[in-house]
Parts: sequence; C-alpha cells; structure tokens
Amino acid sequence: MTATWPWISTVARLGLAAVWLGAGLLKIGDLAGSGRAVNAYEIFPYEIAKVIGAVLPFLEITLGLLLLAGLAVRLIAGISAALLLIFIAGISWAWSQGLQIDCGCFGSGGTLSAGQTPQYLLDIARDLGFLVLAGILLWQPRTRYSIDGVLMGEE
Amino acid sequence: MSGKSNRDRGKAKRIVQEQLARERRRRVTLWTSLGVVAVLVIAGLIGWGFAASQENEKTAGLTTPSVAVDEGTAFAVGTGPVKIDIYEDFMCPACGQFEASAQTTIDQLVADGKVTVLYHPIAILDHASTTEYSTRSAGASAAAAQGGKFAEYHRVLFANQPQEGGPGLDNGKLIELGRSVGLTDASFADAVNEGTYYPWATKATDTAASRGVNSTPTVRVGGKDLTDRTPQGLTAAVEAAGA
Repeated sequence: MTATWPWISTVARLGLAAVWLGAGLLKIGDLAGSGRAVNAYEIFPYEIAKVIGAVLPFLEITLGLLLLAGLAVRLIAGISAALLLIFIAGISWAWSQGLQIDCGCFGSGGTLSAGQTPQYLLDIARDLGFLVLAGILLWQPRTRYSIDGVLMGEE
Repeated sequence: MSGKSNRDRGKAKRIVQEQLARERRRRVTLWTSLGVVAVLVIAGLIGWGFAASQENEKTAGLTTPSVAVDEGTAFAVGTGPVKIDIYEDFMCPACGQFEASAQTTIDQLVADGKVTVLYHPIAILDHASTTEYSTRSAGASAAAAQGGKFAEYHRVLFANQPQEGGPGLDNGKLIELGRSVGLTDASFADAVNEGTYYPWATKATDTAASRGVNSTPTVRVGGKDLTDRTPQGLTAAVEAAGA
C-alpha cells in the first residue's frame, strides 16, 4: 500500500488541478459576469461581490497551476478544501433562501430563467467529490512528478 | 568489538543524517508555504486590478444618450403613474418570449395612460454570441433612442432575434433594421458602426446589477419584482400598484 498511495495521490492532485483550472478559465473571460454570478447569491453588497468575482478566477487558476506543479501540495489541498466548504455553504444558502440561481461554479451563473430548475443537490454533490480529492491530498500529500518531491529529495 | 563500534558509528551517522533531512524538509515546507501564500495573494490582487482596469476600459469614452432617464440607464415609453421597469438583453430568448406575449398588453397600458415603461437594455449575454451581440444591440438601441425611435427599434430587434451561440446580427443588419423603422439618419448608422454607446451598455449593465438584476428579463412593477410575467399577471400587478 505504501507504494500505491503516491500514485493515488498523484491522480487526486492532477484531478483537482484540472477542476481549478477549468473553473478559473471558464470565468476569467468575463470578470464582470463573474461578479454578477456572485451577486446573484445575494450575500454580499454588489461592490464586494464584484471584487470576489474578479479575484476568484485568478485564485482558482493559481491553485490549479500549483497543484499541477506539485508545490506545497498539503497546504494547497487545505486551502482547496476550505474554499470548497465555502462554496458548499454558499450553494446551501442559496437553496435555503429559495433563490433560483445557477451556482456559477464553472462560468455563467446568475438567476435562472423561467422553466429552468436549480441543480443545487448536484452542485453540492460535485463539490463534495472535489472535497474528497482535497482530503486525499491532505492525508497523503506525497505524489509522483511533483516539485515537492524534488525539493524534499524524495522519489 | 570493532565490529560493534562500527555498527554504532554507522547508526549514529544515520540518526544525524535523518535529523538533517528532517530539518531540511521543515525548512523547505516553511519556505514553499510562505512562497505559495504570497503567490496566491498576488494572484488575487492581479485579478482585482485586472477587473478594475477592464471596467475602466469598457466604460471609457462613455456617451449617455440625452434622452435616457433613471440615472441615464433607461428609455421611457408612456407617461402613466405606475412605473414598469423592464431589464432586457436583446440576446435573451426569454426576453423575446416575454415581449411576444406581453407587448399588446403593455401597449394598451401605455395607451390608456396607466403606466410609464422604463426599458433598460443590458448586456449580460455577450458570451452567448461570437460577436458580443448583447453589447452591440444594446448600444444600437441607445442610438435608436437618441433618434427618437427606441420603442419601434426595440420591437424589430426582438422580432429579428438571432439564435444563441451564433454570430448575432451584424452591424449592417442592425442599421438596416433601423432604417425599416425610420432611422435613416447617418448619425444612427455612425453610432452603430463606431460603437458609440458600447460603454453606455456596459455602464447600464453594471447599474442594473447593483440593483440586484441578475437575469433577464427582470420586470418590476412599482419597484416590485413581477414573478408572473403573463399578460394577466402584468395587468394584475399594475392594478395592484395603481390602487
């Protein structure tokens, strides 16, 4: 099992990297739209929602790149887990308030038009799946082909 | 004897090496953690700065149509006491459906002098066309308003609404539609071709978002969100607001 874990963790690391890169890249082309997606949660005043909407895609892409490189994997996994928990809390809030919104997790976002139903359960389940990946890395941060490995003189 | 002391020496050496390696790992972890946190903070700041400059860039050279009301974000039709705010994106299919179903009712309410309709063209669906049709059409509608033909132009835009995911209508077609409702002036064509009102469209969209408009169509009667957007629902809401 000791020989297997680094490989499992490597898959988790690259998977989570793909998630962050995808989420960030899909938002970065329309930062104003990203701000509106945050605004749709009706949690923050618009000015603050705009800042969050602008900062988030850059943060997500950076997390993705750091995971891809395998630098400070345990720390990044911790930050990822925290961020995912915040996202899950946000979606749960929208659900509890009866808002009819698209979570804006991977671009778009905003209020749904008539005839569309929110996918809150699916969104949360998906985020929980990502949380498992982060959990694996928190627990077993040693992975193959990582800068961490080179710096630590392992592998 | 010497064999045992060699083993001891070897063991001691290994312990020292392990300690050094642990020490080294701790140092590496500390510095990479600090570095990574710094990188994340910088990335966030870049995002913030980037968005601010993007907003400045998109609203630079702002020209607000002189006929625009409500902080320069809307065009009024009618003079009745009950205010209806309609936030629409010319790219949005649900807006097209709303217009198709509610138009005669709205016209009647305006003709009866019951309502003032404030049309807010906004651009939240630029990603739904390959040519940012939302911004271009909203800008063209502002030019039409400047030419005194907002209501007519707004109608032909929805009647000729392009498919989502396509290129939208090109500027030539936008000008041609204008001509069909009497916007024959060169100033209209120039405004469409030069994108005179694109910054205005961005600004109007931002103002709408600050008012909690997160989707189109958003219809507010007397300031209250209209959930039942059928003609009956609209009429009922107007009566409730007017009473």
